Amino acid sequence: MDSIDDVANAPYAIRHYAPETLKDALRKMFLIRKFEEGAEDSYTRGLIHGTMHLSIGQEASAVGSCMALTDEDKITSTHRGHGHCVAKGADLGKMFAEFFGKETGYCKGRGGSMHIADPGKGNLGANGIVGGGLPIAVGAALSAKRLGTGAVTVCFFGDGANNEGAFHEALNMAAVWKLPVVFVCENNKYGMSTSTERSTAVANIADRAVAYAMPGKTVDGNDFSAVAESVDTAVARARAGEGPSLIENVTYRWRGHSKSDRNRYRTKEEITDWMARDPIPRMARLLIDHHILSEADVDAIEAEAEATIKDAIAFAADSPDPTVDAVTRDVYTDEIAA
Amino acid sequence: MPVEVIMPKVDMDMAKGRIMAWHVAEGDTVAKGDPLFDIETDKAAFEVEASDAGTVHHLAATETDIAIGTAVAWLYAEGETVGDPSATVQSAAVPEPEEREPSVEAEKPAEPPAPAAPTPDTEKTRATPRARALAREGGLEIAALAGTGPRGRVQAEDVRATIDHAPNAATAAPTSFVPDTGALAITRKEGEGTPLVLIHGFAGDATAWAPLEAHLKGRALIRIDLPSHGKSPKQRIGGFPALVKEVRHAFDALNLEQAHVVGHSLGGAVALALADTRPRKVASLTALAPAGLGPQIDGAALGGICNATRPESLAPWLRTLVVDETLITDAYTRIAFAPRNDPALRAAQAAMADALFPDGVQAFDLRAALQRLEVPARIIWGKRDRIIPWQHALQAPGRVSLHLFEDVGHLPQIEITAEVGKILQSSL
Amino acid sequence: MNAETKIESRELSYAEAIREAMDIALSTDERVVLMGEDIGVYGGAFQVTGDLVEKYGEDRVMDTPISELGGAGVAVGAAMTGLRPIFEFQFSDFATLAMEQIVNQAAKVRYMLGGSVSVPVVMRFPAGSGTGAAAQHSQSLEAWLGHVPGLKVVQPSTPEDAKGLLLAALEDPDPVMIFEHKILYKMKGPVPAGHYITPIGKAAIRREGKDLTIVGTSIMVHKAMAAAETLAEEGIDAEVIDLRSVRPMDRETVLASVRKTGRLLCVYEGVKTLGVGAEVSAMVAESDAFDFLDAPIVRLGGAECPIPYNPELEKAVVPQVPDILDAARKLATGAI
Repeated sequence: MDSIDDVANAPYAIRHYAPETLKDALRKMFLIRKFEEGAEDSYTRGLIHGTMHLSIGQEASAVGSCMALTDEDKITSTHRGHGHCVAKGADLGKMFAEFFGKETGYCKGRGGSMHIADPGKGNLGANGIVGGGLPIAVGAALSAKRLGTGAVTVCFFGDGANNEGAFHEALNMAAVWKLPVVFVCENNKYGMSTSTERSTAVANIADRAVAYAMPGKTVDGNDFSAVAESVDTAVARARAGEGPSLIENVTYRWRGHSKSDRNRYRTKEEITDWMARDPIPRMARLLIDHHILSEADVDAIEAEAEATIKDAIAFAADSPDPTVDAVTRDVYTDEIAA
Repeated sequence: MPVEVIMPKVDMDMAKGRIMAWHVAEGDTVAKGDPLFDIETDKAAFEVEASDAGTVHHLAATETDIAIGTAVAWLYAEGETVGDPSATVQSAAVPEPEEREPSVEAEKPAEPPAPAAPTPDTEKTRATPRARALAREGGLEIAALAGTGPRGRVQAEDVRATIDHAPNAATAAPTSFVPDTGALAITRKEGEGTPLVLIHGFAGDATAWAPLEAHLKGRALIRIDLPSHGKSPKQRIGGFPALVKEVRHAFDALNLEQAHVVGHSLGGAVALALADTRPRKVASLTALAPAGLGPQIDGAALGGICNATRPESLAPWLRTLVVDETLITDAYTRIAFAPRNDPALRAAQAAMADALFPDGVQAFDLRAALQRLEVPARIIWGKRDRIIPWQHALQAPGRVSLHLFEDVGHLPQIEITAEVGKILQSSL
Repeated sequence: MNAETKIESRELSYAEAIREAMDIALSTDERVVLMGEDIGVYGGAFQVTGDLVEKYGEDRVMDTPISELGGAGVAVGAAMTGLRPIFEFQFSDFATLAMEQIVNQAAKVRYMLGGSVSVPVVMRFPAGSGTGAAAQHSQSLEAWLGHVPGLKVVQPSTPEDAKGLLLAALEDPDPVMIFEHKILYKMKGPVPAGHYITPIGKAAIRREGKDLTIVGTSIMVHKAMAAAETLAEEGIDAEVIDLRSVRPMDRETVLASVRKTGRLLCVYEGVKTLGVGAEVSAMVAESDAFDFLDAPIVRLGGAECPIPYNPELEKAVVPQVPDILDAARKLATGAI
């Protein structure tokens, strides 16, 4: 058993979360990793149409940022949003089915990788437009405030979006109206090929919080506990009616921007260096060191995740395709002849 | 060197014309500007003047199609030797003039003959969807119908007219008549000043002017009865040009210095054609509800009037001519019917209506003549005309005065006699 | 609501009618909020919101920063999560700043997400020329938005419809874009009291006639009506249809009229090419009503240029009554 002093000095996650919760967080991180790998493998096999944006390497940010959220709380996500969906509790079979363009998918095959949403779990959806989700998150926060639901919205966006007008308009309005929203920037260093150094005037994106009179914090986005600590604090502040915050999770995407990326803008060394900072073993190590899990437990979780993904892919592959005659369904709530 | 007189291009899409009459004879001496001949295209009639002074020789034949730009006569200067007459058109064949460049000074038409336009026969028939649908329903070939719309487009009314008239033509075909010859009937009323020449409308006659004449006291009046109308001979009139030709003959024969020409309806169209071809002789033109300015005309009313064999069947049609139907008294109807008691007259007029207004459509078009009209002119029309739409008047160029009356129909000279009289008096 | 209450009608201006609709909505539905630039104490650039802020407070009649993209997006997000926002663009032209949220988000969210979310947002666009506000404050962009599946686009032409269509928009589960003509704001007309709706997607026959069909939108309906009076004196009997709804478009009303008259004249203020009238024309040309056409279809629309400042030029670039008269006469007399 740890001494009281040890507990007091333990990282935030260990101090604040029950072992089962932490175990579940690790499970989700594995699920994200296996999901992305499964997606990549399926893509290679020609099962997936279009393109996809993989978040391998960013799992701590996705899962750590959702720790304080319930199903009533909302998230808005990005084109690199698989991890956020999983973190918010999405059904993996329905996710894969959507990938495969199936009627059983989250969007019945109409949305694909970039538009997975799960409103029942508070996930308002990924977005194909950089910065598209920012004003929507503020709107969701406005609803929560007006309707008194107590819900908080976590708005995920990338470093690229912080140069969009929508970012500035959204942060300003959230601050002016003191809305319960947490802006979580996943700074993975590149907006497609353009580095933050080349695109962004401030050293840290969190520095921009000053302009909107809200707290801003830059965090090691591959450190689950650090992410959870910062976002939890911001969520608590939002829930208390004190307004928005901006958290910058510095992380890295191992894969290219999308499947057509040839990685010409970064070096192998840089990628290798970041792969050495893999957030999953780091999380596993934290839990092992604090006697929450054994090595064998971790292996079991990973194996279980792998099996879950296999089942999800099988479900998707076996699902029916949508029918062409229903292609205009769901344009409107009531079918209209427009 | 002799100066060539050519068949001029006077219309945008004119490729050939025909000489209807020469005003000069072989060997006549003419001054520049003297009228030489009348030509007729498929659209209008023109008077062609001498572009130079000289003696006229080698006159081309009349009533023969002549390509534009072709020499139709030569003007020789005094003392010049008269050359070979084969230089001008003597028949339908168009020979080349012997001298290819008779005169560089000769005024030539600006344009050589236009390249052959696509012939309507080889083109698809222009028709509106509704006309096509009606033709399909009626079992008619759209290509066989005459279109009265823009660019000859067959419109619904063209098809309806064909359908409506087809049985009529068979059942109500008037008895035949034996054509007469002779000059048109002229009646006069002595008086002061430049005379008024009055030309009545279809199915009327010189007596139609009686009410108006009360408002023209003291003026010299000359009334012309149209062919197959009033006291004029019954003639086979093949089309509007033939009708105008007859009236022009009568007008020319009057040998007037000048005349104010007044015409109603079809007579208005004839008056306009006269003004167009005899601008120097026409002091002014007054057209009352004139025909010739658009395709629409109430074919049913024309047919009804033509076919009426007794006053009872005529009266309803007469009432469509006016707004205030009380004007059509029994007496009026009886007077109007009296000449129509003659089956030959009815037959001649029906044949004329068929030639001028086939399928209830105005088959002649004087809109171009109206545009180029130079004599002082006015149009008087009732805005509730049910026979010819008064809006046709709106195409008149600005120099033509429009007198449009709100609650008046097709017979302003009867319906608002005093007003029409005032307008005429004020402009004489 | 008292459905049985006898409906009285008063004369209200178009702007007052819209305000009354918003007042009813705010007082009967807690979810309704108004958002827009200067709609609070200022009362809106065209005084449409007026003093509603005094009655409902700044939390429900919200002045937004001058952030059209962000503001529209907030309205979209709020609509997805339980509110019924009515978002006012100060001028319809400023919608260009918010096209991302309108076109990529509001219109597509429901479809992209497989029908799991609706976006019941209402957006209001003061549109049209005639105020001397020139090229960036006078456009008629309804065809832009009408081109986007997922949106509904309406153009009320009367105070009664301005109120009825706004109340209908609030009941609609999908995004409804309302293009209001600035010149009409002061126009008065009878407006039933209380709650009622004007159905979206239904045209109104403003005048029955047999000689030609004039399909107009927004202010052009009034110009078409004025022209129809003159035409009637000339013996031309025009049927005037107020399209009211650009998307969905009332196919049946237009086609039935064209089947009757055989002649179609479309009059709209937006730029003629690829405008609302192009769609109306195509709709007729593609339908069985084609067989009833007895003349080419004629469109009168805005000139192919931005709206100019000079008042004479400004008038010249959008259809006016004499233009409608001229076109209608030609159509009716077979001159086209």
